Amino acid sequence: MAAQIVTCRGVNYRYPVTGALALRNLDFAIAPGEFVLLAGASGSGKSTLCRLLNGLIPHLHGGEVEGNLTVADADPRRTPPHRMNRVVGLLLQRPDAQCLAATVARDLAFGPACQGLERPTIARRAREAAERLDIVHLLERAPHTLSGGEQQRVALAGVLALKPRLLVLDEPFAFLDAVGAARLRELLRQLRAAGVTLIVAEHRLGEIASDADRMLVLHEGRLVADGPPTAVLGGDVEKWGLEPPEPLPALPPRMATAAATPVIEWDRIWCERDGQSVLRAASLRSAAGEIVALLGANGAGKSTLLRHGNGLLRGPRGTVRVLGRPVGRRPVAELAREVGLVIQQPARMLFASTVRAELAAGPRALSRHDPNWCARLSERFGLDPLLDRPPQLLSAGEQRRTAIAAVLASRPRALLLDEPTAGQDARARAILRALLEECASEGVAITLATHDLAWAYPLCRRWAVLTEGRIAADADPATILAQTELMYRAHLSALALAA
Amino acid sequence: MGSLDSRALAPLPERTGRFDPRAKLTVYLLGFGLILLATQVADLLLFNVAALLAVAILRLGRSWWRIVRLLWPTLLLFALIVGLDGGFEAAAGATLRLLALVTVGGVFFATTPPEELGEALLASGLSPHAAFLLEGALRFAPTMAILAREVREAQESRGIRLDGLYLLRNGIALLTPLLVDAMRFADDLAEALEARGFGGPLRTPLTEYRFQASDWALVAGALAVAGALAVT
Repeated sequence: MAAQIVTCRGVNYRYPVTGALALRNLDFAIAPGEFVLLAGASGSGKSTLCRLLNGLIPHLHGGEVEGNLTVADADPRRTPPHRMNRVVGLLLQRPDAQCLAATVARDLAFGPACQGLERPTIARRAREAAERLDIVHLLERAPHTLSGGEQQRVALAGVLALKPRLLVLDEPFAFLDAVGAARLRELLRQLRAAGVTLIVAEHRLGEIASDADRMLVLHEGRLVADGPPTAVLGGDVEKWGLEPPEPLPALPPRMATAAATPVIEWDRIWCERDGQSVLRAASLRSAAGEIVALLGANGAGKSTLLRHGNGLLRGPRGTVRVLGRPVGRRPVAELAREVGLVIQQPARMLFASTVRAELAAGPRALSRHDPNWCARLSERFGLDPLLDRPPQLLSAGEQRRTAIAAVLASRPRALLLDEPTAGQDARARAILRALLEECASEGVAITLATHDLAWAYPLCRRWAVLTEGRIAADADPATILAQTELMYRAHLSALALAA
Repeated sequence: MGSLDSRALAPLPERTGRFDPRAKLTVYLLGFGLILLATQVADLLLFNVAALLAVAILRLGRSWWRIVRLLWPTLLLFALIVGLDGGFEAAAGATLRLLALVTVGGVFFATTPPEELGEALLASGLSPHAAFLLEGALRFAPTMAILAREVREAQESRGIRLDGLYLLRNGIALLTPLLVDAMRFADDLAEALEARGFGGPLRTPLTEYRFQASDWALVAGALAVAGALAVT
């Protein structure tokens, strides 16, 4: 029997300062060449385990590791990350912080250069990684000019240039559209065929459950399930905050919206960026009580279209009307009375010392603070126990809820959300879905840009597909799903529904 | 042979510009020192003329003007403060000194990409950590600018204005998320660096840097000029 590449026997990890146990009595081994799906709700310990395997814990983060841990015959506690990375490649969650150099080419060469390799070897590795990830055309670009999906591919190429035997990926699908996700799945299959051991921590189980040999489930730092994905997912995994891939539910009949008064109308919007057309006469309307999903590939212009909706962007041609009135030159801060926008990283909206103050900040700036309404929102969004806590210290899901409540506190008639489920676990996504349904039932017009078709399917009765700069289709989900060619052009995949 | 080498080393970057970054750094530091040491307005005027000549020859007028356009309120304020205390000549001297330093710095950084400077110094024995500090400070400036723009847009989307004088009243709404996210970014960056092997003692420069005759000539010329100016 071949030696295991990872052996974890009775491993505990305590955070520094608080001393709280983040990993408890972990006991498993992984054989070379295995493809392991690491699942669990947010805060279950997945990312902590990933960091433990390449020595970031404890070398960078500190804390106390107990038990017997061996990764490729080395003990990560005694081997610093810069030596572990010759064997263990780790792709972290935030792609923009992993692109380390001024150009993509330099970035791919960074890891091999830090291993002290000769220049021709560094060049060969960078070339191979670029070809493998299909980013040769990006080699001279500066990483900060790339989209999130492109940055993710660059970051992964940078890790592959290290030629790891064990590749650990922490939520690699979070920023990818369906085509990007399909490419990544294919790459993972190739790597496994080449003998690389894979550990993939992921919320979107449907993306890789069928490819993985084995599934480990962490819950509150404990290993609660270990087996083939079909067997694990066949059990009651919802108690661990997981969402098993399920067949599509039957949808209620489509709501009649044709006669509803539009709250926002995007009327033939054009927009250019870096000399390239992003939007070409894109038109969309969103009526009171509707939830519209804006779908499309990475870089299709979804965020750009949303930002036209509240005046952050104003195209050279086309008109945006809010409640029938053209946006014109009205300041964004004035439009905030009618249109609220929640950006992809809600933490960037939060600045107050407490959640309570955060909820009041927007309405106060607009002179429409209503303490009773804020109290209702706080209760509805489950923020009551958090009211006196600093919003910067909340979990990602709590921050998302706080940001949406803070925007709704100004009683806008329309709510725009950019990738509201990115990086959220099943429980947070379910809570968010219920909250948005409630908001819509009170007459708020909701438009959300998302890659998360499984989440959007039961929530949004209208799917608007943005491709080649315009809304190519605007219909109920079933109609969109039936248009195979459109789905392909917009980088959408019905497979993503099983995620 | 050369083309074969460059093919074998693609996509690694090649050295850009006529001179080695270390030669340019030497000239820049000499110029910087002389400007600091100058006491006469006439000398400072001369330095400005020389620096502007370099701007013109290297066709950097547009980027120089962008910097000056951003800087002029500071220059004016600086002149006022110094002038109130030391009179017109002191104000003129201080302003000219600052302008010359900015111009010389602008010429150096416009012609020397920080990653090339870092790598050239790495080849001379600078530690990988110090070299990355040099590169990283400029590499991540655009990322921070994007972050600042996103925070500003997010707050304005909530009705919290940050334009003009509103920035004084609502500045905290910009600063807090910016600081928190910058610190998170720094943490994530530190993890990414460690995961890519940065913590070790090695790092191979991606480009080969060798001092050539033209570099020696540039340094010798600059030393001669500096010596002559120091004597006079």
